[in-house]
Amino acid sequence: MASNSGALSELFFNPRNVGEAGEPSFMGRSGSFQCGAILRVSLQIDESQRITEAKFKAAGCSVLVSAASLLIDEVLGKTTGEAAAVAQNLDQLAGKLGTLPAERNECVLLACEALVSAIRNYSDSARDEWEGDEALICTCFCVSERIIEREIREKALRTISQVTAACSAGGGCRSCYPLIEDILEEVNGKW
Amino acid sequence: MIYLDNNATTRVAPEVFAAMQPYLTEAYGNPSSAHSLGRQMKAAVEHAREQVAALLGAASPGEIVFTSCGSESDNWAIGGFLEQNPTRRHIITTRVEHEAVRNLCEHLGQIGCEVTWLEVNENGELKLDDLRQALRPDTGIVSVMMANNETGVLFPIKEIGKIIRENSEAVFHVDGVQAVGKVPINLKELDVDLFALSGHKLHAPQGVGALYVREGVKLPPFIIGGAQESGRRGGTSAVPNIVGLGAAAELAAHFDEHERIENLRNKLETSILNRILNARLNGTADPAKRLPNTSSISFEYVEGENILVHLDKAGVCVSTGSACHSTTKQSSPTLRAMNVPYTAAQGSIRFSLGRYNTEEEIDYTLDVLPGIIGKLAEMSPYDKELTALRRGATKG
Repeated sequence: MASNSGALSELFFNPRNVGEAGEPSFMGRSGSFQCGAILRVSLQIDESQRITEAKFKAAGCSVLVSAASLLIDEVLGKTTGEAAAVAQNLDQLAGKLGTLPAERNECVLLACEALVSAIRNYSDSARDEWEGDEALICTCFCVSERIIEREIREKALRTISQVTAACSAGGGCRSCYPLIEDILEEVNGKW
Repeated sequence: MIYLDNNATTRVAPEVFAAMQPYLTEAYGNPSSAHSLGRQMKAAVEHAREQVAALLGAASPGEIVFTSCGSESDNWAIGGFLEQNPTRRHIITTRVEHEAVRNLCEHLGQIGCEVTWLEVNENGELKLDDLRQALRPDTGIVSVMMANNETGVLFPIKEIGKIIRENSEAVFHVDGVQAVGKVPINLKELDVDLFALSGHKLHAPQGVGALYVREGVKLPPFIIGGAQESGRRGGTSAVPNIVGLGAAAELAAHFDEHERIENLRNKLETSILNRILNARLNGTADPAKRLPNTSSISFEYVEGENILVHLDKAGVCVSTGSACHSTTKQSSPTLRAMNVPYTAAQGSIRFSLGRYNTEEEIDYTLDVLPGIIGKLAEMSPYDKELTALRRGATKG
């Protein structure tokens, strides 16, 4: 094993969240042909974009198994936007597993990729099913103009990062930043 | 601790340790010294040379040169011969050699030698016709292992030697590291010119090996220095280790429990294949064509390193041919050459038994292994494939 530190070893021998999330769920996969690892993450997500159930299945090294187990723990109950942010902070996640050799960060990255891919599948499907008549601003996390406006008004938001934290908008590709900027200006008025 | 990783290294035998002990304490002379202490050391080295020569069936002890390890012996044999014969730069070897030969030949291929890589079939066997066709007038050396370190498959060294002699001028080097001590060897009956062995695979300590150099075969010195090893390898002899290798060779020559080990291996292997649905054997099952102590088994759709770590926790040491354990991050070239499916190669485990293993240990391993594989199969994303296996087994 890459590290015998407590966290990694405990998560490997007693992995949490193994299995499949109940239907309807959104699936994400990752894999590395080079090292032969395959990982599958499934998520159940409610109407407020919160992850209510998350599971994984893996055929990979002990670091991958531990990282997937930990990652799923971390994102349960979070919104898809918050979960994506966790998956982007690789160093923090790896740090919680203990001291890993540099090359094993790839195993942690694989775990994050599967989660992000599941979230993307959710977003794609939500976008395809989008029936609202107002404009969809953040297409990554499927957030409409109305929701962004409401969040800004109710929570007195001033910056894009506050908006992302509140409703995930802007948490993905960031191409909607100018639009969110416009809405912030519109609601809050010019300074 | 149950040690089923004897192809990786072996425990130093108590008899070997006892033989070495004086040379780590009161007997401390340099064998090159002319005084009595030195002469005593020299005699010990020469006695060890006789013991190794006897185990290999060499024509004379002078054909045995002590080295530091099996890899050194391989490197010296192949590299040395090519250095000596710069016009014969064609090498023939196999796809399944140990790194010491494989990586060396790859390197030589990059610096001007031409390498022909002989393929193996799904059972890990060579096609001897490929060898016949590969031999050329400029073939300098053919290097073929006697026993594969991962699968235990034995190559027909006697036939290979004959083919080389009949069809070429090439010298024949054999990496015998995994075979010595496990199967009988009689170099007098084989057309082998160079033969590498490693002490720690047969209960001598790590740090000593030997190269058999058939009388008449010329090799430049591996280390240019003093007159040690008849000038073929400079550097003060590692007397305690050499004495250890000699004692281990003698112990191996008198070892009469190969059948007991083979029976234990068979019990382990047959029970695993019968009890565990996703288990499959890598390499031929023909007992005449493989080592009696080795079993390479793939557990399809689960990961070898995971199995290893779980077995380790349960107190059983094995090794894996899967990618993740190594820094090279590539699954075993041997299993790839045998066309083992990727999902099986990833879950491969090598069990290699030795003289100290008991039936209780095999029973214990058989007790814990199915649970471990079951747990990992639960976690495997290849659930469709595993379900199909289960369905097939129920029908059958």
